[in-house]
Amino acid sequence: MTFLEKQSDPTSFMHWRGDMQADYLYTNGVAGNRFFAHLKKKDTFLASRCPQCKKVFMPPRMFCEDCFCDIPDKAWIEVPARGTVRVWTVATINAHGKKLKEPKVIALIDIDKTDSAMLGIIKTKNPDKDLFGQKVKAVLRPKKKREGTLKDILYFE
Amino acid sequence: MAKKQAMPKSAPGTHVSTKDIVNKKIAYTWWEPEVQYSWSVGPAMSRFLEELKNGKIVGRKCRKCRRVIVPPRMFCEHCYGPTDEWVYLKDTGSVETYSISYLDADARRIKEPILVGVVSIDGASPKHGFMHYFGGMKPEELHIGMKVKAVWKPKEEREGSIRDIIYFEPVKKGGRKK
Amino acid sequence: MREVAVIGGGMTLFRRRLLETGKELSYLATKMAMEEAGIEKQDIDMVVLGSAPDAFDGIHIKGDNLVDGCAAAGKPYVRVFNGGGTGVFAPIAGWWHVASGVADVALVVCEEKMGSCYPHPQTAFRHIWDPILDRPLNPNLVWLFAMEMNRYMTAHDIKKEDIALVAVKNKRNAVGHPCAQLADPNITVEDVLNSEMMAWPVQRLDISPPSDGASALIYCSKDKARQFTDEPVWVAGTGWTIDSTMWTNRDLYFPQYVANAAKMAYKMAGISNPFKEIDIAEPYDPFDYKELHHMEGLLLCDKGQAPILTREGVTQRDGDLPVCPSGGLLGVGNPIAATMGQKVCELYWQLTGKAGKRQVPGDPRVGVGQAWGDIMQMGTVIVLRK
Repeated sequence: MTFLEKQSDPTSFMHWRGDMQADYLYTNGVAGNRFFAHLKKKDTFLASRCPQCKKVFMPPRMFCEDCFCDIPDKAWIEVPARGTVRVWTVATINAHGKKLKEPKVIALIDIDKTDSAMLGIIKTKNPDKDLFGQKVKAVLRPKKKREGTLKDILYFE
Repeated sequence: MAKKQAMPKSAPGTHVSTKDIVNKKIAYTWWEPEVQYSWSVGPAMSRFLEELKNGKIVGRKCRKCRRVIVPPRMFCEHCYGPTDEWVYLKDTGSVETYSISYLDADARRIKEPILVGVVSIDGASPKHGFMHYFGGMKPEELHIGMKVKAVWKPKEEREGSIRDIIYFEPVKKGGRKK
Repeated sequence: MREVAVIGGGMTLFRRRLLETGKELSYLATKMAMEEAGIEKQDIDMVVLGSAPDAFDGIHIKGDNLVDGCAAAGKPYVRVFNGGGTGVFAPIAGWWHVASGVADVALVVCEEKMGSCYPHPQTAFRHIWDPILDRPLNPNLVWLFAMEMNRYMTAHDIKKEDIALVAVKNKRNAVGHPCAQLADPNITVEDVLNSEMMAWPVQRLDISPPSDGASALIYCSKDKARQFTDEPVWVAGTGWTIDSTMWTNRDLYFPQYVANAAKMAYKMAGISNPFKEIDIAEPYDPFDYKELHHMEGLLLCDKGQAPILTREGVTQRDGDLPVCPSGGLLGVGNPIAATMGQKVCELYWQLTGKAGKRQVPGDPRVGVGQAWGDIMQMGTVIVLRK
C-alpha cells in the first residue's frame, strides 16, 4: 500500500505557512447604530422593550427574537449605566496564552431595569474578592473621546 | 391566507454609502483578525515541492484508470484507491486556458497585467496540469493551445514552492532558449 | 416522499453595504415571507439557514449569530453551505425537512453580508484557494471565471458581443425589481464591451456586484397547504452534484456536475424535454457567460447553443424560454447565498402571478432554478411547478 510505504519518515513532510489576511468593517445595525449614537452623547444606556412579551433588551434590538415582532421607536427607553454582577471570572492569560501583568476580572452584568446582561471588565483592587451580586456602574470614556463603539465603555467599577 | 400581491412590493433595508462611512455618518466597528496557519502539505505535495527544488515536475500514476496525475496525490479520487508510482513529467506543456488580469488579489487595479492560466503538463494525462503565470511574451501573443516551457528560479533560490517556477514562456522554435 | 408546497417568500434590498446587521437582515426577509404566507413564528417547525463563507461577514461560524433573525431560537435548526451553490442548496435542504415528514412547516433563510470584508469582499476569496498550490500565486477569484469563460468561448468560438447580451438583458430585467442594485433600463452591448477590463475576457459589466442582503422561503406539507394558500406551488424536483476539487484536471468548457444535478431533478419531476417543458429558467448568473454555460448545463439547449438562443431573443422575458426574468445576479445583486431570492423565490412569485412588473406572460407553470459554487464544482438545481 503506497500510503504506508511512503509515509515512513514523517519529518520529511513539509509545512506551508501563511495567514488569513482580511480586515472587517462591521456596521452596527439599525438598533446598534442608535445605541452607540446615544452612548456617544449620554452617560446612560439605551434599551428597547418588546411590545408583546415586555422583555427589555440591552443593547437594544429592532425586533424580538421570541415574539418575532418589530420593536417600535416608542418602545425604546433610557436605562442607567449600572447593574449587578451575575457571574464573574479572573483571567490571568491573554487570548494568545501569554501571562497578563495583572489579573483581569471579567463579569456578566445584569443591567438595571432590563432583562439583559452584558460582558464587562471590572476594575477592582482586590481580584480575589467574591463579586456575586456586587453592584457596579459603567465608567465611560470622556464624551469628547467617544467614537461610537463598545470601547466607549471603559470598565465597570 | 397568503396575500395576492406583487412580491416583493417594496424591499426593506437601509443603504449605507462609502461616503457615509468616510464622513462617519454611521458608527461602525473595525476589526483586524490575527491568525496564522501552518498547513501540513502531506506526502504527495512534499515530494512534488521537493522535486520543484530540483527543477523537476512529478506526477503520480493510477494503474487502475491509467491516469498520470498532476498535481500528484496519494489517492485517486475516481478509483478511490491509492495511486501507484511516481512519474517524472516534462517541464513543458500547453496553455489550457488563461486570463490577462488587471486586478491584484484584493481586487485593486494594477497597470501591468498579470498573465495567468492553466498549463496542462506534457507527460501527464490530457487536461492535467496546474495554474501558473505566463511571461516572456506580449499579452496578445498568449493563446489557448500554445506550447510553453517552465522558467525556473536559479537553483540556489528555490525553496520548494510552486513559485520555484517563475512562469511559463513560449517554447522557442529551433531549440531551447538560452 | 411527501409533496411540498412553497407558501411564501421574502427579500431585503440588495446593496453594496446595508446598515442592518446580518441578524437584522435575516429578520426583515423572514418577516416578509411570514407575512406573505400568513404564519407566525410558532407555526414554523424547523429552520434551515444558508450562508456562504464566514469570511465575508467576518463572524466565524456565523450561523449562531444569525439564528435569532431566522426565527430559529428554540427550534430545530441547521446551516448548510456550499459556496455559491447555497442559494439553491438551502431550499433543497429545507425541502428534505418537509418531504421526509419530520416537519410540516419549514423556513429557509439565506443571508450574506459581504460589505464587512476589507479592503474588498474579494479578499475573503483569497482563503478559498489551495494554500500550497494556488495561494503563493496571489490569485484573485475573477481569474477563475476569466479562465473558464475563455475556455468556453474558445471551445465554441463564441464572441464577447453575444455574451454581453446576457448582461444587457438581465440588468434591464432587473428594472422591475424593488431590491435591485444594478438595474439599468438603457444599458447596451457597447456599454458592456467598453467597460473597464478586469481580467480578460472579464470586464466590469460582465460581473455581478458584491452585496449585502437576505432572502427567505417558507414550505409546508401538502395536507397543510390549503390552510395557507389557494394557489400552492410545488417542489417538483431537486438535484445536486459536486465534482472533483482538482479543477486544473478538468475541461472547464462544460459544467458536467450541473448536468448531473439537472438530470436528477428532471427525473424526479418527470421532465424529459427540458426546453419544451420548462417555462422559466433562473440559472446562476454571477457573470454573464455563466448564464449561457448553465443553460447548457441545465440541458435547456445543446452545448454551445445558448448564445444563439440569446441572440434570437428566446431568453427575453417575452421569449419562448424566459431566462433570469428576475434580473438575476447581474441586475439584482450577488449576496452569495441570498440569491435564493432570484433563483427560487422569484420562481414562486412568477408561478403564482405575483411578480408584478417582472411577470412573465402566458401563465408559466414550470420553472427551474440553479446555483453553482465551491471552486467551480457544485451544481444545485430545483424545479417548481404549479
